[in-house]
Amino acid sequence: MSPGTTVRLIAAREVRQRLRSKLFVGTTLVISALLTVLAALPALLGVFDPDEPAVDQPAEEADLPRLGVVGAMSVAERSAIEAAIGPIEVVEVADVDAGAAALTSATNDLVAVVVPGERVLVAPSGQLLRPGSVAATRVAEALALGELFSEEPDRVGEVLARPSLPVEEVGDVDPAEATARLVVANLGVVFLFAVLIMYASMIINGVIEEKGSRVVELLVATVPVRWLMTGKLLGLGIVGLLQTLTLFAPPLAVLLLTAGEAIPRGVGGLGVAIAGWFVAGYALYAVIAAGLGSLVSRPEEAQAVLTPANVLMIGGYLVGFLAINAPSSTFAVVASFVPFSAPYAMLVRQALAAPAWWEVAAAAALTLSSAAALTVVAARIYEGGILRTGARVRLREAWRAG
Amino acid sequence: MLVLEQLQRRFGDVIALDRLDLEVVAGELCGFVGPNGAGKTTAMRCAVGVTTPDAGTVAWEGRAVDLEVRRRIGYMPEERGLYPRMRVAEQLVYLARLHGLRSAEAAANVEFWLDRLGLTARRDSPVEELSLGNQQRVQLAAALVHDPVLLILDEPFSGLDPIAVDVMSEVLLERAAAGVAVVFSSHQLDLVEDLCRSVAVVDAGRVVLRGDVRELKRAGDRRLRVAVDGDPGWVAALPVDTEVVARANGEVTVALGAEADPGEVIELARAGGPLLHVRLEEPRLSELFRDALQDRLPR
Repeated sequence: MSPGTTVRLIAAREVRQRLRSKLFVGTTLVISALLTVLAALPALLGVFDPDEPAVDQPAEEADLPRLGVVGAMSVAERSAIEAAIGPIEVVEVADVDAGAAALTSATNDLVAVVVPGERVLVAPSGQLLRPGSVAATRVAEALALGELFSEEPDRVGEVLARPSLPVEEVGDVDPAEATARLVVANLGVVFLFAVLIMYASMIINGVIEEKGSRVVELLVATVPVRWLMTGKLLGLGIVGLLQTLTLFAPPLAVLLLTAGEAIPRGVGGLGVAIAGWFVAGYALYAVIAAGLGSLVSRPEEAQAVLTPANVLMIGGYLVGFLAINAPSSTFAVVASFVPFSAPYAMLVRQALAAPAWWEVAAAAALTLSSAAALTVVAARIYEGGILRTGARVRLREAWRAG
Repeated sequence: MLVLEQLQRRFGDVIALDRLDLEVVAGELCGFVGPNGAGKTTAMRCAVGVTTPDAGTVAWEGRAVDLEVRRRIGYMPEERGLYPRMRVAEQLVYLARLHGLRSAEAAANVEFWLDRLGLTARRDSPVEELSLGNQQRVQLAAALVHDPVLLILDEPFSGLDPIAVDVMSEVLLERAAAGVAVVFSSHQLDLVEDLCRSVAVVDAGRVVLRGDVRELKRAGDRRLRVAVDGDPGWVAALPVDTEVVARANGEVTVALGAEADPGEVIELARAGGPLLHVRLEEPRLSELFRDALQDRLPR
């Protein structure tokens, strides 16, 4: 019997056993249904309906913004301000102190208080005009403009009506796509982390099941340990992919059907990148989990022995998040080639920084070849640890015995 | 023929196997006995390839035990183990297939052994729901389901009730009669004596007694079991080449060396008082075992 047949038999058993677990299948289906409902929610709520304004427009008959004025305001100044922020109602204010008190009182209904030729007062809690806001700056500029043209108020309108210089956009990045890519980068990193942690845990429990139930001695009497490990990893990998598809394919399909036009082009390819990095990341972390799992015999020891793998996974995840903030930085570029962080960092770069195809290929090759090298190491540890039931086996002892 | 030759295995400072030799021919039912820690399990693990010896060779029919040979060995590990949540028949089919059987062949063999071992009604139960006795039967079926030419069973009788012991004994005899070489370890020496054609006694990592059970008994020191209604002090005058090996319930067991005369011992006993009974017997296997290990075992 060829190694392929044996590995296939072992993998098939893993798949059958997992799919027979009502808890596993039930939980997966329930979560998938919840995600599908969530994906359908925006469509149900009409978020993507182009005929409906997304945000309520202010009603025309609504009260005008009330602007406090200390002293007199010239016609030119008022025209300039209304040209800048729209029609206003002017409210006389006795002095600067009274203006400040009005703005900071609990019952304030003034958007700002202006002292023509001097200053503009705004409150941090202001609805329209806040410190540092564009509108506040425009009021201040309008006031200055109004003062400048106080003798010729008609020119204020003329100046403000002059067409502004055209602003041209270069490059082909659609802002909607840029936002979508940022969202995908964030979700992709979280997704990778969640599934890698989940399957590493599933693998370690699978290894412990065989070791704890002692069936492993019966198995290794007829199957080389490496084939056993490979079959297990392959089987659980298939279960992982099936579960991931079950979890995410229905909600994605719903999202595409209901909001296909709202999803910018170019984002779809990132789905393929996420799937690819899942496979590479799984290959890398799964072998580590299998090797470490062979050191213990009881499920309660699983998390303790998995700590080194968890540290690597959490490290990769954090690196991924740092890379989102600076996807073109040297840090992100280097991290995208380091095998343990590559699945996260290269995914982020693919979403946000357009790396060359060869960079992606090289990162994938590095990750997969590291997984292959680690397979040899993990198989030796697995070989040395898997038959030693009872107390936890030290890594060094397992290595020597393997 | 299974040949273990000069097997050596060390675990840290502990020498588990010390140039152990053993040969078992096809059709032979060989009992593998020895005190705890003598090296039985390690030797058996080496034979099936689960443990690699530091030195020495394991061969079947003149060929080193490689993967191909290992697929034709039926093995029952000392630490019993099956997938607890897997169903009985499915598990046996899986194990048969790992040993290289085709699907249909595996299914047919599984049905045969389930029927033979009285497990048909539990074929679809998860193993963990079976009684311990039935789990043992499934474990035996796992060792047999692929038609092995060599059976290596580590303590197959341990934990069995008398009925299960009978079933296990029958199956082992049947397999040996069918030409399978069978080696099993056990601490139940009377059972080994009744069941086995040959025996190997292992101690401190090497075989210290090996041969046909009947011949070994014939060649061993005969036992004279004497009970006297009187002073047991007569044993103080026992002649050379004789030795008291046991006293129980007023009966004294005297081992007689090759030169010893049983009549002389009986005369001595009679001097101590009226004889209640006298039996001259070949030694039991357990006595041969003690003889072989006499330097190390307490009397």
